Amino acid sequence: MSATADRLTANNVNNGSGSALTGMPMVADASDLSLVRRVQRGERGAYDLLVLKYQHKVVKLVMRYLRNPADAEDVAQEAFVKAYRALPQFRGDSAFYTWLYRIAINTAKNALAARERNPVSYELDVHGSDDSTDMVGRLKDPETPEGLALTEEIRDTVNHAIGELPEDLRTAIVLRELEGMSYEEIAASMDCPVGTVRSRIFRAREAIDRRLREVFDGGLGRTEELV
Amino acid sequence: MIHDERESQLSAMFDGELPATECELLSRRIDRDENLRGRWSRYALIGAAMRSEPVATARSGFARRVSAALRGGETRMGASRGPRGMSRIMLNTAVSASLVVAVAGLSITLLRYTAAGGGSGPSSATAPGVQAAAVVPMRSTGDVRDGALLASSMVAGAATASAATAASGASVANGAAAGSGAAARRGSNGEPVSYVTPASVNHAATALRTELADFIVAHSQYSTPLMRRNLLSALISSEDAVDIAAPGAAVTASQSGSAAGALHATIAASASSR
Repeated sequence: MSATADRLTANNVNNGSGSALTGMPMVADASDLSLVRRVQRGERGAYDLLVLKYQHKVVKLVMRYLRNPADAEDVAQEAFVKAYRALPQFRGDSAFYTWLYRIAINTAKNALAARERNPVSYELDVHGSDDSTDMVGRLKDPETPEGLALTEEIRDTVNHAIGELPEDLRTAIVLRELEGMSYEEIAASMDCPVGTVRSRIFRAREAIDRRLREVFDGGLGRTEELV
Repeated sequence: MIHDERESQLSAMFDGELPATECELLSRRIDRDENLRGRWSRYALIGAAMRSEPVATARSGFARRVSAALRGGETRMGASRGPRGMSRIMLNTAVSASLVVAVAGLSITLLRYTAAGGGSGPSSATAPGVQAAAVVPMRSTGDVRDGALLASSMVAGAATASAATAASGASVANGAAAGSGAAARRGSNGEPVSYVTPASVNHAATALRTELADFIVAHSQYSTPLMRRNLLSALISSEDAVDIAAPGAAVTASQSGSAAGALHATIAASASSR
């Protein structure tokens, strides 16, 4: 990460613009709300976009409680189903992800309690650590070789692509994806217009996406959802 | 160029930085455009990889399984809604019908009790009112709330009739005096006019007491001229109704020396003398 990004990260942590609970910004997300409204009008297809967007976050969140990735995926799936059924009651007072986060946590806790009542050979993460390095370790254990290879390949590809980005693009995408800053905050930090930030983030994503598609087109991890 | 602009919009929408109106349009386009949908999914994957989130979920078809679960849930919900919803409607209907029948039975019992002289004194004048309330059209369908509402309105109707009979009881009483003949009549379509079984006891006594009370009210020093005029009009019109219902009934009554007929004659004479 560049010196600018390091400085901006420190400022962001200090001013508390991110949510300590979720690690995500608490800005109103117009696109999420738009998708939610479409779902509330009966257009279930819009919910697929929300699932695609948040599936990784929710699975990671649930894995704080359940070590087994397969179990975590099952619980995350249940959380998404519960959220969908409760969506008619969602009024938009909070961000959609904040609301989904609560549902996922409750679902994970319920699953954990159910497994404590009926103990089987599950590994339970009672500490709820959110350490990313530890998460990588957890993921590797029960994964199939193919899944492990995919995970490593994707991470390597993304990291390599980020490393090749021009500094302004790299800073913009890092501030957005890792720090969860809004375009306005990034614009203020990088001393440039919001439109420029939007363009930089888009170009950074396009560059990374190009590399990812090369990997997928090469055969590894090719799925309908990714292409 | 247009593609670039659209994909730039997609990137902004993914970050929640696109205006809501544009989000609506673009999200509909994503539904139809596999390319945009794939990009949306990969943008999520890029962010997840940067944050060390479990990226293998995408490969396992997580979103597709959620979608399938939702479809399955909707199918199950749709399938279960049929018989369960039907049984609920039937239960509501049965409960409301039972409630209505119970209230109607209570009203009829009260009517008969009153007509038989069980409720002596001023309360005896409530019988026609109760009867009037009891012939409120009944609905055999509807939910429990409707049934309760109907029942409460019927009870309220009885209470109101009890209080108001002193003022308007003449017409009601004469309606009751028209009595069993009117109740037993049927409309042009063969439906009974009333589903309430008329009292089998001598209702003339009830009518007599009611009309006597009305007469006293009408001619007391407390009654207003307007009230007297209304009462007399009601009496005259009720006499006409009796005549229509049973031709020659007045003559028969006077000839037979019935109390009601005598009273009618007295009232008429009194009115003409005034």
